[in-house]
Amino acid sequence: MLLYELKKVLVRPVNRIALLILLAVMLIVAAIAVSGVSYTESDGSSVAGVEAAAKLRQAKEQWSGYVTEDVLKKVIEENDAVNQSPEARSDDVTDNNIAYSRKQGFSDLRELINLAFSGFQSYDYYRADSVSADEAGSIYERRISSLKEWLGSDEIKDRFTDNEKEYLVRQYEKTETPFYYTYADGWSTLLTYSSTVIMVTVLAAGFLVSGIFSSEFTLKADSIYFSSQYGRNRGVRSKIAAGFILQSGIYWIAILLYTAVILLTLGAEGGSCMIQSGMDGWKSFYNITYFQEYLLTVFGGYVGSLFILSLAMLVSAKTRSAVLAVTVPFVILFVPSFLSSVNALSEILGLLPDQLLQISYAIGAFNLYELGGKVTGAAPVLFVLYLFLYAVMLPGMYWIYQKAEII
Amino acid sequence: MELKMNDLTKRFGNFTAVDHVDLTMTNGVYGLLGVNGAGKTTLMRMICTLLKPTEGAIMCNGKDIFKMDNSYRRLLGYLPQDFGFYPDFTVKDYLLYIAALKGIRPAVAKRRVRELAEKTGLSKNINKKMKKLSGGMKRRAGIAQAMLGNPKILILDEPTAGLDPNERIRFRNLISELSEDRLVLLSTHIVSDVEYIAGEIWLMGEGKVLHQGTADELICSMKENVWKCFADRAAVPMLMKKYKISNVRAEAHGAELRIISAEKPLPDAVMEEPGLEDVFLYYFGETGGDSNAVI
Repeated sequence: MLLYELKKVLVRPVNRIALLILLAVMLIVAAIAVSGVSYTESDGSSVAGVEAAAKLRQAKEQWSGYVTEDVLKKVIEENDAVNQSPEARSDDVTDNNIAYSRKQGFSDLRELINLAFSGFQSYDYYRADSVSADEAGSIYERRISSLKEWLGSDEIKDRFTDNEKEYLVRQYEKTETPFYYTYADGWSTLLTYSSTVIMVTVLAAGFLVSGIFSSEFTLKADSIYFSSQYGRNRGVRSKIAAGFILQSGIYWIAILLYTAVILLTLGAEGGSCMIQSGMDGWKSFYNITYFQEYLLTVFGGYVGSLFILSLAMLVSAKTRSAVLAVTVPFVILFVPSFLSSVNALSEILGLLPDQLLQISYAIGAFNLYELGGKVTGAAPVLFVLYLFLYAVMLPGMYWIYQKAEII
Repeated sequence: MELKMNDLTKRFGNFTAVDHVDLTMTNGVYGLLGVNGAGKTTLMRMICTLLKPTEGAIMCNGKDIFKMDNSYRRLLGYLPQDFGFYPDFTVKDYLLYIAALKGIRPAVAKRRVRELAEKTGLSKNINKKMKKLSGGMKRRAGIAQAMLGNPKILILDEPTAGLDPNERIRFRNLISELSEDRLVLLSTHIVSDVEYIAGEIWLMGEGKVLHQGTADELICSMKENVWKCFADRAAVPMLMKKYKISNVRAEAHGAELRIISAEKPLPDAVMEEPGLEDVFLYYFGETGGDSNAVI
């Protein structure tokens, strides 16, 4: 019965088109991600894509290791040396590019110095150029002190409770230092575009699962279906199972395919580096590695996709309309972005299911929740909340559908 | 096998579709006749557990069918009036899917699908997509799916609607053949269909079963006579206003009329043997809809 439910979905031309569109979008996103990696040659010219990634990896791997005071000092010295070179001082763009080509290997470490010395809420690309070699070693202390400074500032003092402020500081202090650094552009690129891939996957899968329940009504096959022996129990369970298999199958195939393309082209090393060692994760209070963030991203996306697509199926079962059901993922994914400018809603928005599809943003954001005196970030709350709601939704879906009357 | 309807009522808001119906069915073919909106489909949907009654109950061998749940539906085969299907499924896939819904094991289902495809004349089209089938072929697939579980109760709602005369005869014979050892309820507004195959006929109107009995009993229950007469074409509209007319056939110099009336409508009118269509007209005041059909 389950196989026929799956077949019903997969033989429909519109669903096949949705899958083809998903594949095409995924390949385009992967191509954009890979081509976004660029490397500046010693003559000032640039290359992009797989070749650039290989060269960048070679350059950055020379700086692999723990980011100690000595390493940071060396970064400043090398940076200064490049800045003093005639190419860096020249007004010619090609000369400037030649100068930049010498900084690529330590550019990530230079960024850490920029971030540490720019202040918590600002960023100055040239800040490292004015940091002395002796100062550079203090980036870890500065990361904590700038957080404290920000938490004490007027703009933020009412946003967090004392408990929450303490929690943030504690999390920062817990960050293991010195960071271990190595080339991790594969992971960071993977994470940058993962939310796009996850969202497109959910939208495409929405087309497939939205008709699972409603098709019996729209095709007028409902009378035969519900008057058959298992139409009100095993048949309904098969539909729910078909939904789960489609949600899971499409999601994991899309995500793993995307992961494979990115990591095979840009390299899979660096997964064990802390996300704080990169520009995107520097401020995060989640003390995790790139690989752990990847796991959070894909499993968060999976939980979110299960919830959103099951909600679409629930709407389909209740309203008997695939059109209404297919709008559910769109509403969930796009409405929060219209409301994001309203600061008062930030706590609520931080708990909406779209956050699970873009967990990297949740990891970078300062959305905190206090439950029973215990402070936690949004990520664990999102996982527990939506797994619970998903678990509640399944019997609800079953109950609604098996009670259907045909008028 | 006994199916008993006790005080069965279904209301939709203020509208009563089925009104306190009490009926008992055992093995055999039952014909349900009525005009559109008489409540036939609602009654059948309740028998098929698609609608819950507002009042009353349907008992199968003494048990409430809604409490029997699966075990009742296992006995059931249903061909609805508006028969829906999965357009991208082949006939074979469709029948195998319904077989799975009916709890038939795959190996048995394959054999049964083959048998029924042969019986309903679908063998040549078994691998065709449902959307490519003609109306008649779809009806055949419909009857095949209804018969899949070898049901003890077979409910057929307008099974011959939309079929050409040849297919209708073929279909009628098939239903007759399938009716052995089972309870068949056949709803239609095509009077001749039930006249040929139903043992007992129920005349339904405004949610109630107004009359029931064999075709002969119903014919005998008529309190008026059937007359055949010839009239000028110009006189036909006047006669139609005055009498219930079950058939008008245009002739070269006028029209041949079949009139239901207690008294002789025209001096040269000849009394005729009444048929079920005349009964239908007598009770419902209109024709059964196919009085000129070639059967």
